[in-house]
Amino acid sequence: MDIFNVSASALEAQRVRMNTIASNMANAQSTKTEDGGPYVKKDVIFRTMPVNNKAAEGLQGVKVSGVVEDSKPPIVVYDPGHPDADEDGYVSMPNINVIEEMVNMMMALRSYEANVKAFNISKGMYQKALELGRF
Amino acid sequence: MDKGFSILHKIVKSSNARQKVIASNIANADTPGYKARDVKFDNLLKKEMKLLATDPKHFNSNNSGNISGHVITENSLSWADGNNVELNTEVAKMTENALRHDAAIRILNGKIKMYRNAIRGR
Repeated sequence: MDIFNVSASALEAQRVRMNTIASNMANAQSTKTEDGGPYVKKDVIFRTMPVNNKAAEGLQGVKVSGVVEDSKPPIVVYDPGHPDADEDGYVSMPNINVIEEMVNMMMALRSYEANVKAFNISKGMYQKALELGRF
Repeated sequence: MDKGFSILHKIVKSSNARQKVIASNIANADTPGYKARDVKFDNLLKKEMKLLATDPKHFNSNNSGNISGHVITENSLSWADGNNVELNTEVAKMTENALRHDAAIRILNGKIKMYRNAIRGR
């Protein structure tokens, strides 16, 4: 039943990716975080994960090896009335492109759907095999 | 016993093995550096099928039922992140593989039904 672990690991990984994208979009205007400074865009890093040491059979799951922060500098906007503005009146805004996030979200969704399909097809195969000789 | 069982068994086993590899490809469609894999059995099956097709007598009975496919790595063009999984192709391969599996199961079921009827004498 390793095959279900493979598809499940991918569903989990894509869900983490989706959470990260949702956080990025939600905080596209957050000028202050708990660490100080504006919100920084986050990205997930995927790595292959051998399932039950069966990599030789081609069985490879996936895991999120880490969430990294984007290195792009914040966008500086002149807004002297803003509470987070510096003494010159400039505010550092998160460097988040909402369209880019939408595209990533769609890709994560498609990958998630493909893995659900893979899971269901595998399940169907096992079910058919279980019906052997049963009339 | 019926040689057909042996071949059908091999088809079921090989499609199971291939399903695992395709599921891994789909799981790793977004993993940097991952290369798509596939399993090759076709030569073995084709060889046996051909023997079966030309003359049933050619088909010898020492089929062990063991099938040893080998996992190959696709060396098609990769994206900038080193990944070369094509999601559509993989889903298509998986659907085809599942159909092959289901067809084998259906024929197996037919054979079992046939033998059962013969044993019961009706």
